[in-house]
Amino acid sequence: MSYERRDQLPIPPRNATVRNTVCQYCNVGCGYKVYTWPVGTQGGLEASQNAFGVNLSAQPPIAGQTYSETMHSIVTNKDGVQYHVVIVPAKDSPINLNGDHSSRGATNAIATFSEGRATRERLKYPMLRVGDQFQVITWQEALNILCGVAKGIRDKDGNDDNIAVKAFDHGASGAGFENNYGVGSLFFKGFSVKHIAIHNRPAYNSEVWGSRERGVHELNYDASDARLADTIVLWGANTYETGSVFYTEHMLPNLRGATIPEKQQSLERNEPVEAAYMIVVDPRRTSSLTIAQTAAPGRTLHLRPNLGTDYILANAIARVIWERGYYNMQYLQNRTDMAKFEEYKAKSLKLGTPYAEFMAQASRITGVPRADIEKAADWIAKPKTGGFRRRTLTIYEKGMIWNMKNYDQIAALVQMAVLSQNIGRPGTGCGRQGGHQEGYVRPPSPTPGSIYNGGPPVNVDKYLTDGGGKLYWVIGTNPYLSTPNNQLFRKRIHERTKALTDYLGQSGEPGTTEGYVTKVLEGLEATGGLFMVVQDLYMIHTALDAHLLLPASAWGEANQTSINCNSRLLRLYEKFMDPPGEAKQDWEICKLVGLRMADLYRKDGNEAEARKFEFGKGWNKDEDVFLAGASEFPDNNIPASEEATLPAECYKGVTYAFLKQVGQQGIRTPVRMENGKPVGTLRRYSTKFGTKDGKFSWYGTDDWEGYPPEVQKYLEGDMAQKYPFWMTTGRAQVIWQTMYNDRFLPEKMLTLPLPYIELHPQDAQRLSIKSGDIVEVWNEEGNGTFMVYVTDAVKPGLIFALQYHTRGTSNSMVSGYTDPKTTIPWYKGTRVAIRKLSGGLPDVTSNTSLLAQNKFD
Amino acid sequence: MAATLSRRSVFKVLAGVVAVASGGKAQYGYAPSLAYPALKVGNINNLRDGQAVYFNYPDGSAQGVLVKLGQRAIGGVGRGRDIVAFSAACTHMGCGVQFKGGRFVCPCHYSMFDPAKAGQCYQGLASTPLPQIRLRVAQNGDLLAQGVVGLIWGRARNI
Repeated sequence: MSYERRDQLPIPPRNATVRNTVCQYCNVGCGYKVYTWPVGTQGGLEASQNAFGVNLSAQPPIAGQTYSETMHSIVTNKDGVQYHVVIVPAKDSPINLNGDHSSRGATNAIATFSEGRATRERLKYPMLRVGDQFQVITWQEALNILCGVAKGIRDKDGNDDNIAVKAFDHGASGAGFENNYGVGSLFFKGFSVKHIAIHNRPAYNSEVWGSRERGVHELNYDASDARLADTIVLWGANTYETGSVFYTEHMLPNLRGATIPEKQQSLERNEPVEAAYMIVVDPRRTSSLTIAQTAAPGRTLHLRPNLGTDYILANAIARVIWERGYYNMQYLQNRTDMAKFEEYKAKSLKLGTPYAEFMAQASRITGVPRADIEKAADWIAKPKTGGFRRRTLTIYEKGMIWNMKNYDQIAALVQMAVLSQNIGRPGTGCGRQGGHQEGYVRPPSPTPGSIYNGGPPVNVDKYLTDGGGKLYWVIGTNPYLSTPNNQLFRKRIHERTKALTDYLGQSGEPGTTEGYVTKVLEGLEATGGLFMVVQDLYMIHTALDAHLLLPASAWGEANQTSINCNSRLLRLYEKFMDPPGEAKQDWEICKLVGLRMADLYRKDGNEAEARKFEFGKGWNKDEDVFLAGASEFPDNNIPASEEATLPAECYKGVTYAFLKQVGQQGIRTPVRMENGKPVGTLRRYSTKFGTKDGKFSWYGTDDWEGYPPEVQKYLEGDMAQKYPFWMTTGRAQVIWQTMYNDRFLPEKMLTLPLPYIELHPQDAQRLSIKSGDIVEVWNEEGNGTFMVYVTDAVKPGLIFALQYHTRGTSNSMVSGYTDPKTTIPWYKGTRVAIRKLSGGLPDVTSNTSLLAQNKFD
Repeated sequence: MAATLSRRSVFKVLAGVVAVASGGKAQYGYAPSLAYPALKVGNINNLRDGQAVYFNYPDGSAQGVLVKLGQRAIGGVGRGRDIVAFSAACTHMGCGVQFKGGRFVCPCHYSMFDPAKAGQCYQGLASTPLPQIRLRVAQNGDLLAQGVVGLIWGRARNI
């Protein structure tokens, strides 16, 4: 079985409207062009007859214009007119060179709302739970109820402790600076919420305080650095699958030697250049590794540390760099805090321990052979012929971030990079790959930093599951898939929301707004229940337990701005269609909630409180919010040498008109103003780091202390027998995040119909499991069913589980442990048992490919 | 035995028009919605398991690839229902896919397609499966291509 395919597509006529946008999905931020024109006409195949200006009967490979079956749709705007929408890769983007694009971005067009396609499932109107059903209500009614409940809670409590929030804080995906500022203003200016958590974790925190508190923001490099590097390190980042075009257009050409001319042009005179080396640090043989092995035989190195031990490995590589003298003492003295360096030398490099003994310890803990650790140090830091410093770009992501001991992991890695002077020069950098794009601008948040800097932040999941909170407001995220210790979380939230629902009436519920609000407030006190609000594009899993649903509008339905991760490139994502029904941008919803709250306080005669909630009074269009957000940034009339003092996302001085003018070229944040004109920052920390004195702030990491009790319990006695597998988790090429759009696309659901695990052939043989079988994976935290791929991507005794899928989440098995320094969970390590379900799903095995996803030769 | 034809000569040997654009869905191009030629692309008796045969279809500037997989495939013909054909242009950016180890691999950006699963892209940057070329087996064992299900890369209309 397949699904309906197409063998002809409508051709954009020469007079089609053309707009610039950027993909709504991953960190890479590929540029796209949107062509729209009314249904009923179309252009011709000849270059002179269509808006692409290319011959569409047979184009040359790569050089032509990709226009795939997923790049066209028809939408109906509020004027009732149907429009063709064609969204194709831009040819003038510095990011997706050559018109490259991923399988995610290629589906931007078919993910648009239409009553005629599966995306009709978008939320169109506010809805209120009445018993076991949702009933449509008006926005005015929704605001009256929500603000009535929120104000009632505040009036009783005298504070916002019981108002708990979980909200996106990122760019793209329909968010961007505008919606971030709307949400931030509501909860930090109107309300003073302290129980707020970010979309994919239980607290309000940076995932990389270990780097930021050293003076290094995680987005410090440019995409071009991957083209100029001598060595690329992918540490807990599978870029081919989760930042695909960054890999194919910037890393792969370097591995193949195709960027040597660029290196000759951009780097120092007489500096030796060659094709890049790649080091992949990952417990799996990822596709990012095996492609590099295919494309650049002999120039790849794979380090497979035991789960949780990466910081020990990073410190060990740094120790080799120290022992072999691959550092520049003058640089360290000029650019780093030498007093703190002593602590680093003592605790991280452990210079008090003889080298051989240290390396033996590191090798035993990490499981990585000493020779490989030393080879990695050579590839990262050994000066080149002629004394030229090696250029190494280190890209890390969730394998490091969602590791055990988040803070120390990130700190160890960035310190390894600074020790070898691999930040701030062309071809270097040490930063996140990113998951989504970014777009953070908000009033100051409740938690300033890690345990070393006013933290750690509150674990809001735990607060809620322990019975805290009365109103739980979830915006643009789906914690029923994404939060750790998921089964416990779901069960407790369900129990608490249902307790309130039951209280509202055995059968009939109050029919007036006032009566309903009063009963909710009574019920919250009487039952210890929760009133849950979900603000989203769809009826997501979490929404099934909500009381109030607020329909949000999506990417393409408003003008938005975001930066990408590999270059901090700020661009305008132009509106090209209307939102469905009465859906609104998050900033507008926040503004309306604020204004309604202000009304209620004014009625009480509380003018001071009313004013706090009127933050959005002057916001009439998207750009108003963008410009209001800019006021949060400091003065940026500063010279280039001071760029390190600016927040990474500073865009002060940029307007929509400016962004329209620069189009796909965008501008790299942080933006400075020079002679009244905005100027971007190509690469960060060339002259100073982002600390008060401008010097890199070293830190001594902890010693190896073993696993936290939540996981250690599985390694002892009977438990070790009962739960014999390590489980790590991650993403896959085919789908985006929680699949909020993808679950409606046949291209995605047929290719990846179920959540899956990867199992090593030896384990599969022992358990009589084959690819395509369905297994249960479980431990004391939770359970899940998965399809199996038998593959050498994993080691014997270790399984990899897709983190989540619309049909299930491996987070059910993940413990509630978080790093005590940051409250960041360890999503990627626990122990589990596996059993095969008897029987099978022939429909799945006959329609879904089970071939090895990491074998390319 | 692979047929190499120019766009013009395809229509000279055209054995019959097998699909006609008509009906509601055709206006949006649900495949096959066009008047495809029927064209001999091989003979069932000359195929060996695991061997790829390249040919041009539906015209001289579009490369197709015929494979006998030795295992049942979606849309497969022959006694084992294991003979399938696809457009050889990667649906990502048009590079020619290579048949290796029972699957198609694109040498440019490493998209991979499963010939037994309707050309499904199970890894890589391509957003759609390889377009599958419909096959019919004539009495004498000739394999006739007779339509393309899916859009050939680089085109807005297959023919």
